[in-house]
Amino acid sequence: MGLLTGKRVFSIMALCMMVGLLLLPIVIALPSPAIGEEAPAGDAAKKDGDKVEKGRDVYYKTEGIVVGAPAPKTTDGPKDYPRYNFESRVLIWFANQQHLYYGSFVLAVPIFCMIIEFMGVVTKDKALAKRYDQLAYDFIKISLTAYSLTAILGGILIFTFLTLYPAFFGYLSSIFRPVMHIYALMFVAESGTLYIYYYGWDKMKEGFLKWIHLSMSVVLNVIGTLLMFLANSWIGFMMSPAGVDEQGRYLGNIWHVIHTALWNPLNLHRILGNMAFGGGVVAAYAAYKFLSAKTEEDRAHYDWMGYIAMALGVAFLIPLPFAGYWLMREVYAYRQQMGITLMGGLLAWLFIIQATMIGILFLSTNYYLWQAMGRMRGAEKYQRYIKYLVFLLICGFLVFITPHTMVMSPAELKAMGGQQHPVLGNFGVMSAKNGGINVIITTTVLSFIWYMRGNKVSTVSWAKFGNIFMGVFFACAYINIIWLAIYGYYIPANVRVGLSVPQVATTLSCLFFMFALNTVMMKGAKQMGPIEWGKISVRSQYALIMLATAFTWMMALMGYIRSSVRLFWHVNEIMRDNSPWAYTHTVGFAANMISFNVLFFWISILFVFWMGSLAAKKAPVEAKAGIPGSVPQPAASH
Amino acid sequence: MKALMSLGALIGVAGLLLLGGMIFDVIPSNTVRLVEGYMPMQMLFEFACFVAGFAGLSYMMSAMGMALPRFWQGIGFWAFVLLYLKFRVYPPIPFSVRAMYGTVSLVAVFMWVSASEEDWKKFKQPIMNVLDAQTGMNRLLRYAYLVILPILIGGFSYNVMMPKSEEPIELRTVHPAPPASTKVHGKTYTLQTSQNPYRVNQEGKYDQEYTNANIVEQGMGRLMKPNANPWDDKNQGYLKYVREGGEIFFQNCHFCHGDNLNGRGLHAFAFNPIPANFTDPGTIAQLQETFIFWRVSKGGIGLPNEGFPWASVMPPWEQHLTVDEIWKVILFEYWHTGYYPRTWD
Repeated sequence: MGLLTGKRVFSIMALCMMVGLLLLPIVIALPSPAIGEEAPAGDAAKKDGDKVEKGRDVYYKTEGIVVGAPAPKTTDGPKDYPRYNFESRVLIWFANQQHLYYGSFVLAVPIFCMIIEFMGVVTKDKALAKRYDQLAYDFIKISLTAYSLTAILGGILIFTFLTLYPAFFGYLSSIFRPVMHIYALMFVAESGTLYIYYYGWDKMKEGFLKWIHLSMSVVLNVIGTLLMFLANSWIGFMMSPAGVDEQGRYLGNIWHVIHTALWNPLNLHRILGNMAFGGGVVAAYAAYKFLSAKTEEDRAHYDWMGYIAMALGVAFLIPLPFAGYWLMREVYAYRQQMGITLMGGLLAWLFIIQATMIGILFLSTNYYLWQAMGRMRGAEKYQRYIKYLVFLLICGFLVFITPHTMVMSPAELKAMGGQQHPVLGNFGVMSAKNGGINVIITTTVLSFIWYMRGNKVSTVSWAKFGNIFMGVFFACAYINIIWLAIYGYYIPANVRVGLSVPQVATTLSCLFFMFALNTVMMKGAKQMGPIEWGKISVRSQYALIMLATAFTWMMALMGYIRSSVRLFWHVNEIMRDNSPWAYTHTVGFAANMISFNVLFFWISILFVFWMGSLAAKKAPVEAKAGIPGSVPQPAASH
Repeated sequence: MKALMSLGALIGVAGLLLLGGMIFDVIPSNTVRLVEGYMPMQMLFEFACFVAGFAGLSYMMSAMGMALPRFWQGIGFWAFVLLYLKFRVYPPIPFSVRAMYGTVSLVAVFMWVSASEEDWKKFKQPIMNVLDAQTGMNRLLRYAYLVILPILIGGFSYNVMMPKSEEPIELRTVHPAPPASTKVHGKTYTLQTSQNPYRVNQEGKYDQEYTNANIVEQGMGRLMKPNANPWDDKNQGYLKYVREGGEIFFQNCHFCHGDNLNGRGLHAFAFNPIPANFTDPGTIAQLQETFIFWRVSKGGIGLPNEGFPWASVMPPWEQHLTVDEIWKVILFEYWHTGYYPRTWD
């Protein structure tokens, strides 16, 4: 006992020391922003006596002592915009997008590992625990190769910035100078933690050491998230600058520069987006392996893997539209013209494409779940009602994708009698669209609940009452969502925006209450038969691939939209883009570019997966322990 | 259950006959009127009725031993959606939107017919039969497809590639993005923060709530509120300014924007596109008053470069009206349509 306690104390001390050492560079670096704030003021005072130039923060409206140089006024020429014989913007677009894809992937996968490893640790079924552990290990292995690629792409991105946009990059670096080295050191901390986490897997697989290992994944994810927050502050500053005066001169408060109007919505949106994306990529990997599997055993394993990855991805997909709404609301609140350019003006059509992609994500998810019912005995009772879910989903989808700005010929415009249509005009604005997406999400929740109870029959005494209650709850939810969408037309626009809150609350109530109720109802439920992993249609696997492709396409699209909304500004209203590419591309060009980025990413990630499979071949046979098909699936795996 | 399904079948048959009659012009297209203002919900409701009708029809036919194969159910439903969108909805929906709706409906049909393995097999069966060509009929069909499909694809390609004399398709943005500020009669207005100076209460103080409460809700057929009649000469404050704005509107704007502010004025149809319809929920109801102030002041000429051609012939009203007159006319437009301007409070 004493020996065990001693080992635990030693383990905790070792972990603390390791974390301390990893974070040491950051701690050492921390005083520098404080120096950055105070020192220049002191220097200025010494030099000029009482003559200290002050500036007014463009966003916070506070006064600050001017520390930095004004934003450079660039001119088209080799000094500010050196170039190859190619459009510089396309090159930087490509480098940025690829870095972002891999960055997102390596941020998301460790979070997955953390969740899956945790599930493995807490589950009582030893075989299942082993499978979870193996799955988490497989994920982190893939992530390791991707991590190197992320770093390489990061290097390429910086070189691209330095080579093609030196004036702009110089300015941005001067603004973020106090935190730039922290950013770099975070990478060091992230790498160190990741390597220890990966290579320590076998050594720390038992007992208390496993918990230590698990807590290391928490540290890893905290560092990763902070890293992303810092990167977000750059784009937040470019869209909604703060901490500088009208000329773009830094006023000495780095927190203002980081904490701009859009920073927090961007942070939330990106965390959720990365997770959903990570889930999609892993699910597609599993789908590919499923389709190419030679044995039943492999098919069962990859079916299960695809399901877990999909479930995790979708768990983060569900709140994603709400985070998107918050971001857009903040954009509108920050600058009306930015909001209008995005959603009603120049970029409105890209939002229609985005809505289409979101719809595809939800349709694919629902379709996968319906297909997954095929591997359960007893799920037939739900399958015949699927057509009604299709109807609800599609009605929501049709409203959600109705464009406000329509593509039409002048003859059609004339026949319609103006830009406004009595149906499309109503469907094309936010009130109806809010209703549309909430109907879609609520239906997805309903599909999930049907899937969860697919092969089970509740044995609780109040089962009948419970089922009726659930049915009524969902019916009321639909009525409430649709009614609020209609009511939105009778109230002011700012109140209407607020109506999305009760709509979201209704959707989330369905999610949380109905999930909880269903779980209680299904406790000790009679099983109609085990889940037959691997016995799922191939169509379901194509749905997973569709899901992942839609995620990657949508990420690229949203990145483009968010970046394009600055129009001809490098830093909105502070530093103008005077390069020959300060114009907005056509929708067609943007779509081609996005598709190219998506294609490149998928080809390169195949390489990453291939590398992973090379390593897997050398893995000990023990790793294969626990065949999914042969293990009864507990409710927790749903 | 059977009674319910019979009712559904009846609705389905009646609906199909009505739609068929409208397509072939046997029944006047306004037999079941689509009411402006309620049209979006009416359309969804009709659609739901049709789906219920088809379900009932399918059930009844199956009970009578004349079940329609799943393949033809799917194809038939998709054809119905396309025909409904083309012939039922008026004013006509542009092709681009119909194409989007049609594609989504096709996806819906696919999801429906392939949701379970059994359904999918049923749906695929006729296709597999033709491909397998075990019978003479199927063999004939297979040869027919072999000839017809290339001809159809060729015809489609020819139609797409053939030069046409039609006007090109436009992607005209409804709301141009406004600048951060605008200068009218020498004064700069920040569009994010400026306010309509005539949105005042009876004490003459700026009061958004008071003016909102006095808006006559007549959009979508709502009735005028009692005690809120701006044409009453005794009115002071907000309602007086609404009246003054109305006078300015009828002297200057109604020729194009119409008496009912629906963009169908006397001169409206001389322009393409016709002037904006303020009663549509997608126009002034979505915008801040300062946006309208900018648009009225600068007109079509003052629109930003990035979205050209805007094709707006509205004159820059700052050359004809004072700042106060512009604000008042905006006040009137919101009052008359029953919409409230967007605010950030």
